[in-house]
Amino acid sequence: MKTTKIDYKNILYPPGGILLWILITMELITFGVALIVMVINSKDDPQLFHESRLHLNTTFGAINTIFLLTSGFFMATTVHQYHQNNYKKAGFYLNLTMIGGLLFLIIKSVEYYMKIQSGHGMGANSFFMYYWLLTGFHVIHVIVGLVILLFLKNSLKKEKTETEDIEASAAFWHMCDLIWLILFPTLYLII
Amino acid sequence: MKKKDIYTLALLIVLTLTTAIFSTHLNHLKYVTVIILGLSAIKFMLVAFQFMELKKANPFWKSIIVIYLILFVTIVSVSL
Repeated sequence: MKTTKIDYKNILYPPGGILLWILITMELITFGVALIVMVINSKDDPQLFHESRLHLNTTFGAINTIFLLTSGFFMATTVHQYHQNNYKKAGFYLNLTMIGGLLFLIIKSVEYYMKIQSGHGMGANSFFMYYWLLTGFHVIHVIVGLVILLFLKNSLKKEKTETEDIEASAAFWHMCDLIWLILFPTLYLII
Repeated sequence: MKKKDIYTLALLIVLTLTTAIFSTHLNHLKYVTVIILGLSAIKFMLVAFQFMELKKANPFWKSIIVIYLILFVTIVSVSL
């Protein structure tokens, strides 16, 4: 293992690396603009958007938020343990991080299944088109994040992980949290 | 485990439940949308600054996140 000291105060070295932070910024802008367009679009038929939003399960959304936030907490703990050279503990918390992500995907699958069963597919109306596209793209990010964490777990086992690897993986995982933290209130709570 | 991270997670869970309760039971209030967006913005900042350790980063990255949040919350609040 190679734990290097990084000067985070340098503009070129934010925690996770500059390339990942450029990606995070672009992703946040993309999702943010899509949500703003949806809100502006909802003005054409506010009743339809509001009634459609009421078909979403707020409890599922809130539970999923808690799963992702808890998973993010375990990811932060993984990085902390790694910096303390506690690699076994780091591996343990990384497992908990992945379990959080998997639970999120399970709840989301149940929610998707219920939506399809009740006839609220992507073509149901404009609101559900936004709902499926935005949450679908977010789910893809979570799946990609889980694959990255799986590779990280493997390299931690082989003791080949470097500080940059673990911090970049953590930053990507937290990005999934950040995207969900703007999707959840806009889609589930305020429209 | 860092104590500060545990407190942050507890606060994040409380804020999540608060926004859900506001949306389902207090949606008749005039400024409920702004309150929900404001609380969500606080959650966003907590994750970015505490869990992602943005607090250690160069002010440029901190300001990008803060400006993004201000713009997002303002535009959504005004558009609704």
